[in-house]
Amino acid sequence: MKIKIELFGASRDFSNQDLLEFDVNSHSTIKDIRKKLLNYLDINFNGNENFKKIVNSSAFCSENNNIISDNYKITKNEKIAIIPPIGGG
Amino acid sequence: MLHAKIIDIKEKKLSIVEAENFISSYDYGASIFFTGTVRNQNENKSVIGITYDSHDALVINSFQEIYNEADQKLNIKDKSVYIEHAKGYLNLGEISIIIAVACKHRDQAYVLSRYIIEEIKKRSPIWKKEHYQNNDSAWLKGNPIINEKN
Repeated sequence: MKIKIELFGASRDFSNQDLLEFDVNSHSTIKDIRKKLLNYLDINFNGNENFKKIVNSSAFCSENNNIISDNYKITKNEKIAIIPPIGGG
Repeated sequence: MLHAKIIDIKEKKLSIVEAENFISSYDYGASIFFTGTVRNQNENKSVIGITYDSHDALVINSFQEIYNEADQKLNIKDKSVYIEHAKGYLNLGEISIIIAVACKHRDQAYVLSRYIIEEIKKRSPIWKKEHYQNNDSAWLKGNPIINEKN
């Protein structure tokens, strides 16, 4: 299965594109996606600690715009969003 | 009555006049207009502009939730609320957010206006990237989002 992760806020620095795409096993959880992202940062950004902090402190959002927990299971090709710590206004 | 929108700054600027047109009514005796603007200093750095990013759907949901909560938590049922937030690059002095509220009485209007901006700061997925005079830029740290659902 493929999962697309839409990038927002500070996570936009992870790529020149608006999203990242990973191959994942069926029933992977958000916890697994977080690990994939950390691995991606190890490979592409030499384990940039600030970027890893962002991943560890981010929430994730489903395609139908709900904030999802670390136990949320990916059951189909899906686009989720990473929601880094917020601070607008 | 609620107007809630994210405005792409490349298409238009936020407008106090439009906010006033939306909330103005003979039903209400008190109006408050709050604007957030880009200032030139933050943490001893000279800021020249801010890029705002937004998860539009979640932000609009959060505006709607905050508006609805005012009924229960603040007991302000009769009200008109206009909330717009900009996304994209803003120069110094440009408006990033307008919160305009109209209520029957001033106490309610002050409380409601303050409640909305404080809740937006805590809950709405909006991010700021500051741009500095030395050509550097940085995303501001912010706080983790709190309303997690399964």
